[in-house]
Amino acid sequence: MNKWGRRLTEKVEFGIFTLPVLICVAVAFYIPFVLTVRYSLTKWNGISKHPKFIGMDNFKQIFTGDDLFASSSWFTVKYTILYIILINVLAILLALVLDSKLKSKAFLRAAFFIPYILSLVIVGFIWKFIFMQGFESLGNSTGWSIFGWSWLGTPRLAFISVLAVSIWQSIGFYLVIYIAGLQSVPDDLKEAAVVDGAGPIRRFFSVTLPLLAPSITIAVFMALTNSIKVFDVILSLTGGGPGSSTYSVAFDIYQDTFTNNLYGYGTAKALVLFVAVLIITVVQLTIFKRREVES
Amino acid sequence: MRSSNTAGRIIGEVVMIVIALLFLYPLFLAIFNSLKTFQEVLTDVIALPKHLMFANYSYVWKFINYPRLFLNNFVITVLGLLGIILVSSVAAYKLSRTRSRLSMVLYFLCIMPMLIPFQSIMLTVLKTAQFLHLSNSTWGLGLLYWGFGAPLAVFIYHGFVKGIPRELDESATIDGASGFRLFFSIIFPLLKSVTATIIIIDVMWIWNDFLLPLLMVNGSPTTKTLTLAAYTFVGQYTSDWQYAMTAMVMAVLPSIIVFIILQKYVVKGVVAGAVKG
Repeated sequence: MNKWGRRLTEKVEFGIFTLPVLICVAVAFYIPFVLTVRYSLTKWNGISKHPKFIGMDNFKQIFTGDDLFASSSWFTVKYTILYIILINVLAILLALVLDSKLKSKAFLRAAFFIPYILSLVIVGFIWKFIFMQGFESLGNSTGWSIFGWSWLGTPRLAFISVLAVSIWQSIGFYLVIYIAGLQSVPDDLKEAAVVDGAGPIRRFFSVTLPLLAPSITIAVFMALTNSIKVFDVILSLTGGGPGSSTYSVAFDIYQDTFTNNLYGYGTAKALVLFVAVLIITVVQLTIFKRREVES
Repeated sequence: MRSSNTAGRIIGEVVMIVIALLFLYPLFLAIFNSLKTFQEVLTDVIALPKHLMFANYSYVWKFINYPRLFLNNFVITVLGLLGIILVSSVAAYKLSRTRSRLSMVLYFLCIMPMLIPFQSIMLTVLKTAQFLHLSNSTWGLGLLYWGFGAPLAVFIYHGFVKGIPRELDESATIDGASGFRLFFSIIFPLLKSVTATIIIIDVMWIWNDFLLPLLMVNGSPTTKTLTLAAYTFVGQYTSDWQYAMTAMVMAVLPSIIVFIILQKYVVKGVVAGAVKG
């Protein structure tokens, strides 16, 4: 009787402890997700009471007749690859400099970190102001023609602008990850390499870089998950323009759903994005798992 | 040899400081131009302001009702944070301590949503929130963050609780403590360092979040957040750059001040969160 009673209390306690979080997660994710799957099979403008069921038509349309989705996917792929490579290379280089014996280390680290604590939308606006107004003055005072280019007005340059502003905003985050990683590289290892006559470049590639592998894993993972969903900075910096040249997939979904009122179609695209992110994440996790086991 | 080394170091130091200041130059430009007249902004962006136009600030302050927005941000962030920490820590503790298939399944249900991009569910989150009468209210938005913040928090807490010996629970049980009392008097204090990590990550996220607030509370000027107000303000005053920059500076200044005061902890928390997450 007593034992049975204790079992029951344990069960009740388990329920009381876990139920709140399950409800919260269900409201935030699972219920909306089920609804997304449902709406993706419908044609719906958000106004009519009853979405019209159209089966897989939305998906057929997305993959066969939607140029904007194709171009925004291409934009996102290009952006993601370049973002991952550039931000990690720059952050590692910067971390190497800041890890040396500079007196102003703390100040420098804080300075590079500051943009990361700011809202991306606001960062986008500040840069829009710089590109549209500031570059003109900078061009006048320096005479450099680079400031006279139309950084937000031509597709190729607008792409670079979006990429550069994103990197500017988030490099501090990757920097501190790499600084933490470098600090865990034992000094005697580096000294041993010096004694063995390895130059700085050799030392970097055969001692420091391999030991940074865990940090690189984390940073690449974070860079991928963040860049594949790029949205805020595009909204405020280019608005997707010129034309639709800087539409990312997330931005395209937003436009379809909230500007064009294609609720059914937009959610179908949203589901495609989810599946893509899921596949990429699973692939990435398996690769990293395997690498960790090997090392 | 030694003196040339010192000279080299000083040069390196100066070069890096110059690079850092150039890196932050856009922010300086934003601040300078928020203190200029409209004419000055148009004629020369990079010049320093001739007179400090604090009038821009009082204008924007009143126009967007800054104290109200600040309060909204504060309420949303604090409410969201309290809920995330409370519901996630107790659940993660229980899930970590209970060895059963159900417990495993529930844990995965809690952390799986980390794979769902917000844009995939944004429309239906809005619909769900409308159905539950959580939309158009700062409190409702704060409550929603409980669910959005839970997966990462459960994940981090769950991993940390594993490292706390079970004997602690058992001896507390013998002493007569159980349930919530056991958790809050014995376990929760031990979670201090991860709680700090979660607070830092979540404050930065909720305070600056844009898309969810845009969908939830953008309908009325009394429920807007700072970022939303800055966003709408620029939409209305695209050419009044001096006011736009003032709004930007006012929106980001609280974060910058807090960061400068707490920078050591912020950096530590962000690194810890990334390494654990």
